[in-house]
Amino acid sequence: MKKITELIKEKRVYFDGGTGTMLQSMGLPAGRPPELWNIEHPEKITALHNSYFDAGCNIVKTNTFGINRCKFENYRELIRAGIACAKKAAQGREEAYVAFDMGPTGRLLEPLGDLSFEEAVSVYADNIKAASDCGADLVLIETMNDSYETKAAVLAVKENCDLPVFVTNVYDAAGKLMTGADPLAMIAMLEGLHVDALGMNCSLGPDKMLSIISDFKRYSSTPVIVNPNAGLPEVRDGITVYNIDADEFSDYMVQLAENGACILGGCCGTTPEFITKTRAKTEALPYTCPDEKALTVVSSYTHGVIIDNDPVLIGERINPTGKSKLKAALRSGDLNYILNEAIKQAESGAHVLDVNVGLPEIDETEMMLRCISSIQSVTDLPLQIDSTKPDTLAASMRMYNGKPFVNSVNGTEDSMNAVLPIVQRYGGVLIALTIDESGIPDNAADRVSIAQKIIDRAAGYGIKKKDIVVDPLALTISSNPESALITLQAVSMLKEKGIRTSLGISNISFGLPKRELITATFYANALQCGLNCAIMNPFSEVMMNTYYTYRALSGYDKGCTDYIRYASAENGETVQKSAPAVSEGSLHTSIVKGLKDQAVSFAAGLLENTAPLDVINCHIVPALNEIGEAFEKKKAYLPQLLMSAEAASAAFDEVKKKIPSDKTDKSRAIVLATVKGDIHDIGKNIVKVLMESYGFTVYDLGRDVPPEKILSCALENNCKLVGLSALMTTTVPAMAETIELLKKTDKSFVTLVGGAVLNQEYADMIGADFYGADAMDSVRFAQRYYSK
Amino acid sequence: MKYSDLKIISASPDEVTVNRNELAQRLRTDREFNAPLLDKCRESFNKAVHYKCVYIQSPVDLSTEGVCDLGFMKIPSRDLYKNLRGCSEAFVMALTAGLSVDRLLARLNITSQAEHFMTDALSSAAIESFCDHACAIMQASLRCAPRYSPGYGDLSITFQKPLLERLNAFETLGITLNSAYLMTPVKSITAIMGIRSV
Repeated sequence: MKKITELIKEKRVYFDGGTGTMLQSMGLPAGRPPELWNIEHPEKITALHNSYFDAGCNIVKTNTFGINRCKFENYRELIRAGIACAKKAAQGREEAYVAFDMGPTGRLLEPLGDLSFEEAVSVYADNIKAASDCGADLVLIETMNDSYETKAAVLAVKENCDLPVFVTNVYDAAGKLMTGADPLAMIAMLEGLHVDALGMNCSLGPDKMLSIISDFKRYSSTPVIVNPNAGLPEVRDGITVYNIDADEFSDYMVQLAENGACILGGCCGTTPEFITKTRAKTEALPYTCPDEKALTVVSSYTHGVIIDNDPVLIGERINPTGKSKLKAALRSGDLNYILNEAIKQAESGAHVLDVNVGLPEIDETEMMLRCISSIQSVTDLPLQIDSTKPDTLAASMRMYNGKPFVNSVNGTEDSMNAVLPIVQRYGGVLIALTIDESGIPDNAADRVSIAQKIIDRAAGYGIKKKDIVVDPLALTISSNPESALITLQAVSMLKEKGIRTSLGISNISFGLPKRELITATFYANALQCGLNCAIMNPFSEVMMNTYYTYRALSGYDKGCTDYIRYASAENGETVQKSAPAVSEGSLHTSIVKGLKDQAVSFAAGLLENTAPLDVINCHIVPALNEIGEAFEKKKAYLPQLLMSAEAASAAFDEVKKKIPSDKTDKSRAIVLATVKGDIHDIGKNIVKVLMESYGFTVYDLGRDVPPEKILSCALENNCKLVGLSALMTTTVPAMAETIELLKKTDKSFVTLVGGAVLNQEYADMIGADFYGADAMDSVRFAQRYYSK
Repeated sequence: MKYSDLKIISASPDEVTVNRNELAQRLRTDREFNAPLLDKCRESFNKAVHYKCVYIQSPVDLSTEGVCDLGFMKIPSRDLYKNLRGCSEAFVMALTAGLSVDRLLARLNITSQAEHFMTDALSSAAIESFCDHACAIMQASLRCAPRYSPGYGDLSITFQKPLLERLNAFETLGITLNSAYLMTPVKSITAIMGIRSV
């Protein structure tokens, strides 16, 4: 018998239909896991598979959808029995294949959920190990509603067996997965992982899938699977039925086949009759396997970014080179600063964010993994993983949710041997630098030759030309006046060869005054030569001017709509007109009214002729005290207090710029955390913002923090004041445990606790030193603590 | 799908009026409180929210004192027992505002605590209001008991697990539970609403 991967290249192949609904009609009680029947009634499971094979399907899904070690202790036995049932049915038949079926774990992966990526990989790996010698012909990963879990499952298959992998995801009527990915994002990631077929199943009927199939047709170079439900369930005369019958279903399947669906089958509510009719109506239709799409795509967990003529902006701000604040943030592990940079770049219009955390004194891989996970929880832009260390690239690409940009490989043997296998394994679009053992060529032709060498070598690893973006290197014109011209010529030559290009654009002006002027003009020239991507500063107004004007002038901005929006915002036309002019108030009133931008302007103005400490003591603190007292007297509300605290913090940051960093007072500090098991952090955050506005240094550990982590942070920073928050009664024991650990380690630790379920009595019971009824209460306690 | 008797209610942000008392209570302000920043929060919340509800109508057997038998689970709870007194059926439901709200809150948690606090309050009030909206649709002309959720009174929060499983809430709404029985997306509700008479 032919391999299934060969068969799908030649002809239309058919999956079976629904399992759950069929088994219920065979006597499975509603709510009872159908997988148990693999052992209890194997003959019925085999009969079900036989009925589908008899109906004309080529591939049956084993009755193993919900099985994994989290749900069934005897998962191995259930899996092996399930595959045996299907194998028995396939025996003696032609073109009859058994797909080992795996569904979602039912848990959400980190960072939003609590299942780690590696644990998810290991859950699926255990399934594959149990199934490996049972004779399945392929693995089907189906009904997946999260891109990250899909990646975990695919990696588990790839790393534990040689079977072909088919993947189908669940899209809603808007064409998105439950966690947000669209078809382009899924296709990019799954093709990067070299799956053998991909598509959609469940949730929608074939009618609704018609609106999504066009995306698959446009973007997928891989055979597309369509396994719809029999429409939507509805209750008729007290019985639940699906609203599309086999005749209507198969009519829609004809349209889906004509629009690019290669492998057809059914999901919930479909029966052998659906498959018979679908096959009868579609078998004779002309069949073509999808052609190779020349699309260069990087993706996140929501969308893909196509690298083509319309220029792509890659934000360069998360790279410590020449950025002292970022260096300090990386050394202290202050992810908030990094996340703020990520969010601001996204808001400034970047399409992709470069992430480089390489500093000699930190563990680069660990920091990169932390940064990627955290950045992906606050922005949905695709990321460019930027490191010179292959180990860091490998670990980061593995856990990245999507198909990343990878920065970079170069033309040296060492680099190609180290980086290309990683990209082959995890998928990504690779930046190739035109440098080799002899250095950077001083002419464009030789740089293009190195690019070609890398592309040829990558092909040997199955990495396609479209997944290589060449950086012909921008070198500063201050050392070689020809260097811009060489680079621009190389961009043009690469464009002619159909190779996509990227440049680290800012390098061109290194060592020169008013660098942005040179950089922006060079950027315009490079765009004119066909540059596809620029690693650049999206906060630079002149660079963004160049970007928007180039797009308007080159026909990529239809109706100049993006340009007009950008230009209007630049002129302040979209800024809220009701905001009072800066001259109408003071730092004090700005803080009291909670006007952040105004507070910053006033602070900057005051600092011109007032000592930094006087700005704090004579302006910021009195204003905070005023609103704080109003809050305590119930004359101001909590949101107002928070807005004021933020305005004060922003002013405080302005003041800090004028204080040398070695003079920053870190002696008044507090460690804050929401305790283990608790994911509520509102209360803790309110305390944080108030503490910061009063000038305390806050070590914020976030939520769901284990006791050991709290202790180690307190010890590391020699901070004896620890604030703990819990909202749920179920997590107060974790708070008690944390206090016990702290006190056992060092009696001089002082704990202050707060949260909805706590009161003085409870706080006393768990051994806390202070119960803060509200945020101001906690600030007052910290002030008293440090004034002793 | 393990069950085919599930019913779904969705709503757009326009269809759900956020209850002002609920909001004021969570913001800890009076009903009239407003601020330009709150309007900004409302706008970004409305862009992120995807209201969805799944529910079933389940028989209620109260023949054992202090135990509520809903067919698919037996719940020992005096408080729920009291709440369901006189009911022979109940709506069992799960609702969510969707994962994009979690992502919005994660982002605001980094950029602005004031916006984070207000958006959190707003989304908590909004999911309660959506719950009222969905209950009104389920209820139609039926007379119902006030809805009751795991975590109220002596009704253990652990009952979220069988309840969510019965509603296929992972597949239908994307709701998952962590080890402390808290739901993700965070703005999600499970509830039981007894039907007193037809």
